[in-house]
Amino acid sequence: MNRQIKALGVIVIICYVAVFAKLNQVQVLQAQAYSDRPDNTRQLQRDFNQPRGDILTADGKTAATSEERRAALRYQRVYPDGELLSAVTGYYSFTLGSDGVERTYNEELAGRTPSLKLHRLSGFFSDTSSEGDVVLTVRKDLQETARDALGDRRGSVVALDPRTGAVLAMWSNPTFDPNLLSNNDAEAAAGAKALYEAAPTKPLLPKAYRERYFPGSTFKVVTATAGLTSGKVTVDSPTYPVVTSYTPPLTSKPISNFDGNACGGTLLPILARSCNSSFAQMAAETTGPDPMIDAAEAAGFNQPVELDLPRPARSVYPTDFGAVVSRPEGSAPVYEDTPKLAQTAIGQNDVRATPLQMAMVAAGAGNTGQIMAPHVMAEIRARNGDVVEKFAPFPWKESMTPEVAATMREAMVGVVTGGTAAVMATPGWEVGAKTGTAQLGTKPPRSHGWMIAFAGQPGQPAQVAVAVIVEDLPGVSAATGGSTAGPVAKAVLDKALGVSG
Amino acid sequence: MTAPAVTRRRPEPSPAVVALGTRRRTTELGLLVLAVLIILGAYALASLGRNASLPADIWPFLAVLLALLVGAHLANRRLARAADSLLLPIAALLNGIGYVFIARLDQDLAALQASWTAVGIVAYVVTLLAVRDVRLLQRYRYTAGLIGVLLLILPLLPGIGRSINGARIWVSVGPVSFQPGEFAKIAFAVFFAGYLVERRELLSVATFRVGPFNTPDPKHFAPILLAWGASLVVLIFQRDLGSALLFFLLFVVMLWVATGRVSYLLVGMGLFLVGAFVSWLSFEHVQKRVSVWIDPWADPQGSGYQIIQAAYALAWGGTSGVGPGLGIAERIPYDETDFIFAIIGEELGLLGTTAILCAFLLLAGTGLRVARESRDPFPSLLAVGLTVLIAFQAFIIMGGVTRLLPLTGVTLPFVSYGGSSLVANYVLLALLVRISDQTARRAPERAVAM
Repeated sequence: MNRQIKALGVIVIICYVAVFAKLNQVQVLQAQAYSDRPDNTRQLQRDFNQPRGDILTADGKTAATSEERRAALRYQRVYPDGELLSAVTGYYSFTLGSDGVERTYNEELAGRTPSLKLHRLSGFFSDTSSEGDVVLTVRKDLQETARDALGDRRGSVVALDPRTGAVLAMWSNPTFDPNLLSNNDAEAAAGAKALYEAAPTKPLLPKAYRERYFPGSTFKVVTATAGLTSGKVTVDSPTYPVVTSYTPPLTSKPISNFDGNACGGTLLPILARSCNSSFAQMAAETTGPDPMIDAAEAAGFNQPVELDLPRPARSVYPTDFGAVVSRPEGSAPVYEDTPKLAQTAIGQNDVRATPLQMAMVAAGAGNTGQIMAPHVMAEIRARNGDVVEKFAPFPWKESMTPEVAATMREAMVGVVTGGTAAVMATPGWEVGAKTGTAQLGTKPPRSHGWMIAFAGQPGQPAQVAVAVIVEDLPGVSAATGGSTAGPVAKAVLDKALGVSG
Repeated sequence: MTAPAVTRRRPEPSPAVVALGTRRRTTELGLLVLAVLIILGAYALASLGRNASLPADIWPFLAVLLALLVGAHLANRRLARAADSLLLPIAALLNGIGYVFIARLDQDLAALQASWTAVGIVAYVVTLLAVRDVRLLQRYRYTAGLIGVLLLILPLLPGIGRSINGARIWVSVGPVSFQPGEFAKIAFAVFFAGYLVERRELLSVATFRVGPFNTPDPKHFAPILLAWGASLVVLIFQRDLGSALLFFLLFVVMLWVATGRVSYLLVGMGLFLVGAFVSWLSFEHVQKRVSVWIDPWADPQGSGYQIIQAAYALAWGGTSGVGPGLGIAERIPYDETDFIFAIIGEELGLLGTTAILCAFLLLAGTGLRVARESRDPFPSLLAVGLTVLIAFQAFIIMGGVTRLLPLTGVTLPFVSYGGSSLVANYVLLALLVRISDQTARRAPERAVAM
């Protein structure tokens, strides 16, 4: 029997070595892979049981903080201003996940980045924890101005610093109260989420960077840029006919100017008066599709957006207009979809843009054609206030050459001094703007009112760029954008510049 | 072979036995003190981890712990003086570590587990008292077999049998519930040992031809096959796969060790594979276990939840663990019974799980040494059976929790929460201790040489 007993011992050892090997695999070799699995909430659970950094606004106010509770989860996320900054901070929920800065800067807030850990080590004998505070580029006072100016109307406001890409304000109405979603009481949080999700106005969606709209006439800035860049349009020529409507080739459907107005002329007057007929003709007959596609993509359309917030929507411009049908003398070739091309020139048909995208269009024109990467993080601080990381601004797109940018700036300033955006004029500042009224194609007609603008000192890069959309207004008229979105943009611009209005 | 004559009066031990016994008991006492220190440290750390304070009941805890272990130790001194010195301390260590983790998970269960530990120690002492000569048990092999079968059938009886979590392995009498299967294991080990020792000569000689194979005469198999088949059928009806596997291993390994014929092992493997395949085909719960084993992520919130959470707990523990009391394993269902190994893995890491693994390996090694030292076939084979029960039960559940094997719910001996399991394992331990003691008394020179 002894031989068998010895052999049995060997069998037992083999079995136990197999368990030991498996333990090594699970606990060491693949431990990280297991911990990184999306359905593994252990990291999250630990995060809710240790302090988390604050989110601070650029003007030093607390946007999000963690309060200690005597409960199963030790820390509860609290947003002192409720709805005000939710489009930026997002929420931080144990059961619902997270969004906004809470999501993109989770590692920093939880104190897991190498720089924060290193900083903690350098404070050797202090027992400070390593969580970091995120300081935003967003100003609370500007955010309040945007909220108050928009009021109860549905819409979004984005304000940028064109020189750095820093987001100064980002507000959408309706929005949500992150306190309700971040409630550690899972049932209450789920209830709040269900209620928000049931609302047709999608309050959970940060529409400023995640919802796309017809840009309407604000897109004429891109069309004008396409014309200038192609070399076929200058401030002197061509001169578009003064008409009430333009009918592109291959269709009998005319593109009309608002309110039956007749308008036309060279680039500056047609931008100032926002002539639909002229810009439709410019795209259809002067430039053709390729300069339009190039200009849209140079401004950021059809590209993943370089933004430090989760899942920004990419704005879209069509890239295929079919085959060449004919090549008329003295005009761009006619494509199968030239009628569609004509409509895209005025921001209709298959063009969609986020409010953030349109703010960047204005920012590019105000910043010699450079679109800086938009961002909401200014710096990361350790708990003792030391800055451990600063956002280094970098150019994202060159939407136009400096020469074209100079012309576009002049043209957009003309829209304020002698055109549809007169409401934007601010003494002491050079303000350029473009209004927009995006037809929704509904009956009775409804539209989005738009205003994009920049402001700065003459000859200097603009200091602020804004985009405002007021959604789903009754009626369609040339004045819609200027009269609805205009005052909101003006209030935000003035506040950002420190002009007392 | 006949059972040796039994004298009521025990002969005076020789001086060599006395010296050996004294040495072994001193070693045991030292190891027990070490175990107490480890358990106490873990208990304090777990409380520090959870509440940042020492446990309020640390002194009563220490007093009870010492009382129980010193009690068992004194029983060894009086009743099994020459027994091996490792068995009790290892069991105590496992029991204590298990208690610390149960207390950290659920205070109410911990209080119950403490009571069961006391009952277990009493059962240990009673077993040492009752079984003065383990060879006597050979006489009662058929009785043991019958008791084993009865214990297994008990939960299936209407009125007292109860089904908990799909397994009908419980018996309720008044307020007390227990799993008779835990005791049936020991009864079967006694039966198999007794029966196989009696028939091993016959079973190891191949006289009967089946086609090209020579096999022993089938009539010698009958009782064993019957016992084995009956236990398997009952266990499948009770849906307790882990125990079924354990019984099967017990049967095959004891048959192999008793006869020395590897063919039993191979045929046993074949039988097992056929049985596994047939039950996989015919039982939905078996299919579910297997598919969860292959891919738990197919149903992460349902059938795969438990094993996935166990893997996450183990992974989260890493090499050195997150610290006693600092894990977040409360989310694993049955964390204090089948899955306590995952909790230990989370809080003590690979170091902790390896320590538990080593403790079981040491226990198994000691058990097999006891079996090998014993010159009597019956005690030797019984020691093999008892060791197989502990070693492979631990292997089945540790392998199941780590997804090395399909998960079959059995307790981790001495560690998991569970009264029946704990008391039964202490009885089992007492039998091993008794065998070891008797061996040393009969052949002290040989034992000294070891």
